[in-house]
Amino acid sequence: MEIVYYIILIPMVYVAFAVFFVGTGVRLVKLFREPRNPTTLQIFPDKRPRWMWALHDTFLLPTVRRHNPIFWVFLMLFHISFLLLIIGHLELIGDFRIFQIVQHEVFLGNGFVGLILSISLLFFLFRRFASPNRDLSVPEDYYLLILLFLTVFFGSQMDWARRWYDYGNLSVVEYREYLSSLLYLKPHLSPDLTSSGHSFMLVLHVFFANLFLMFFPFSQIMHSFLSLPMNKLRRG
Amino acid sequence: MDQKTRDELLKLFQGKLNEAMKFYLETCTRCGVCTEACHVYASMGQIKYIAAYRHEIVRRIYKKYFKGRGKIWPSVGEARELSEMALEELYEAAYSCTGCRRCMVYCPFGIDTQMIMSIAKLLLIGAHTEPEILTLLADTSVEKGKSLELFKEGFLTGIKNLEKEVVKKWKIEAGETAIPVDVDGADLLYVALAGAHSIVPAAAIFNAAGENWTLSFFEAVNFGAFVGDPTKTKLILDRIVKEAKRLKVKEVCICECGTAFRVMKQLSGKQPFEVSSITEVHSRYLREGRIKVDKSKFKEPITYHDPCQIARNGGVIDEPRYILNRLSDDFREMSPEPKYNWCCGGGGGLVALGEDNLDFRMKSAKVKADQVQETGAKILTTACENCHTQLSDLNSHYEMGVEVKFLSSMVADALMQ
Repeated sequence: MEIVYYIILIPMVYVAFAVFFVGTGVRLVKLFREPRNPTTLQIFPDKRPRWMWALHDTFLLPTVRRHNPIFWVFLMLFHISFLLLIIGHLELIGDFRIFQIVQHEVFLGNGFVGLILSISLLFFLFRRFASPNRDLSVPEDYYLLILLFLTVFFGSQMDWARRWYDYGNLSVVEYREYLSSLLYLKPHLSPDLTSSGHSFMLVLHVFFANLFLMFFPFSQIMHSFLSLPMNKLRRG
Repeated sequence: MDQKTRDELLKLFQGKLNEAMKFYLETCTRCGVCTEACHVYASMGQIKYIAAYRHEIVRRIYKKYFKGRGKIWPSVGEARELSEMALEELYEAAYSCTGCRRCMVYCPFGIDTQMIMSIAKLLLIGAHTEPEILTLLADTSVEKGKSLELFKEGFLTGIKNLEKEVVKKWKIEAGETAIPVDVDGADLLYVALAGAHSIVPAAAIFNAAGENWTLSFFEAVNFGAFVGDPTKTKLILDRIVKEAKRLKVKEVCICECGTAFRVMKQLSGKQPFEVSSITEVHSRYLREGRIKVDKSKFKEPITYHDPCQIARNGGVIDEPRYILNRLSDDFREMSPEPKYNWCCGGGGGLVALGEDNLDFRMKSAKVKADQVQETGAKILTTACENCHTQLSDLNSHYEMGVEVKFLSSMVADALMQ
């Protein structure tokens, strides 16, 4: 079992990040090197400044708010929580003063960030079981949501265990030690990390996160980078 | 389908893959927000008419031949082979879409269905399975442009016969020409459609405004754009551009034809002349006091249908409203926001297909008929030939009891001498 833990927690993480960064970078460069459309793709009326409106459309999703308000609530909760999740993971590597403007304990959100993400992902998944979304969906839509849910759920379990179930065997110190060792290319797995009662949660979380990162550049989640330029096309 | 044909079609597909097209094909999350956007789905309730579903018909082929995943793991994205059956699906998707781009207003990313459907239309042309009538019309148009000398005399005789009609609407000074043609150094080149209804009212208004104008030898309508053939679209467009440059005009004014206006405005590139729709020109004349209209001419409530290619896709939104408020005290909006106005159901070449798809056009535009009736207006006006034909058909089919009029005709009828 140790070897499986080792492969998932160290080499697979490096491979996943390499695929993620190289894949995303190459795909973005290739996309942006394609010739521009010869005509405008704008929708009128024209509103200026166009960049501001494109940012507004990208980050506030006004069209979804107008046409499907419940979906919009979950989308906003999901995306805000996802941002907090990224900040939370950065804080597991080291201290960032900027993130402590609002004083909080690492991992931020008292367990609720993961909870909101999990519920949102279940909502996104279950709404695809009903028509017409069922008829529009293809397998990758389900796979991605399930993968993301599993990643978030097992990750949150580690947070919830410490916060809500008083299970303190694995603490932020162990996670920081592990992540820093990966970052500084001196990978090290402490026995505390791999022999704790719920180490398997960490292993599963990292495993699914690795899969997600490797799938990212080849999936529609590239909308994270493409939504703004696309909204700019619509705004002219 | 044999491999050679498939390879040729895939080359055509490849040719359409620019930056924006790849954004559109790569990004859709099939969230379904566009579900209610399409007038065909809203009227008929069939899943195949949802914008995202139409995209997938094209996207599945894209995944199969242009994405690594389509080769390694095709089932994950339902990648699909380009086959005879796929062509049938492409036809259904492309020729039930009017290219109104209302779905773009709903999509959180702004995916342009019309653009994705242009791939479908091009593949159909490549496979010779496009609607023959559209190609025939485009070819006739191209041919007419090539052999102008053959048509010139007949055209000029026809125009001469229309001059009396123009003078009936607006008297001109002795010695002046009611419909000037081929005037070198004219300020404005008017590009009309074939038919007196597109020339007579416009000519009367130009004369009333004292415009230094000339009529184009060519028809504005671009059947190349309807059938989705970029080469023919460009050929039909270029002959007007050449004429405008030869006559050294300052402005090219496109008649009431949505596609012609959008193609000329957005596809002609940087030119030494401005491009305007006739609605913009009429609005300008009214603002500048160059023409005056009699408000008592139309006593019944009026509503206006925004042609998609002129309003949502062309930006001419305020001008028709300015005109209508000068023509009537009882102008009623159809939609609180013009960008959400329903398409009439006749665009994208559908009206040009005639009786073949009349039943579909009527069923698919029920929401439009309802929208018109809800206004309680008795006059339904618009500024696009296609929309006018479709709205007239809807008027008969749904017994809407409205009078369908061109906006330019209303201005001409209300001119004050």
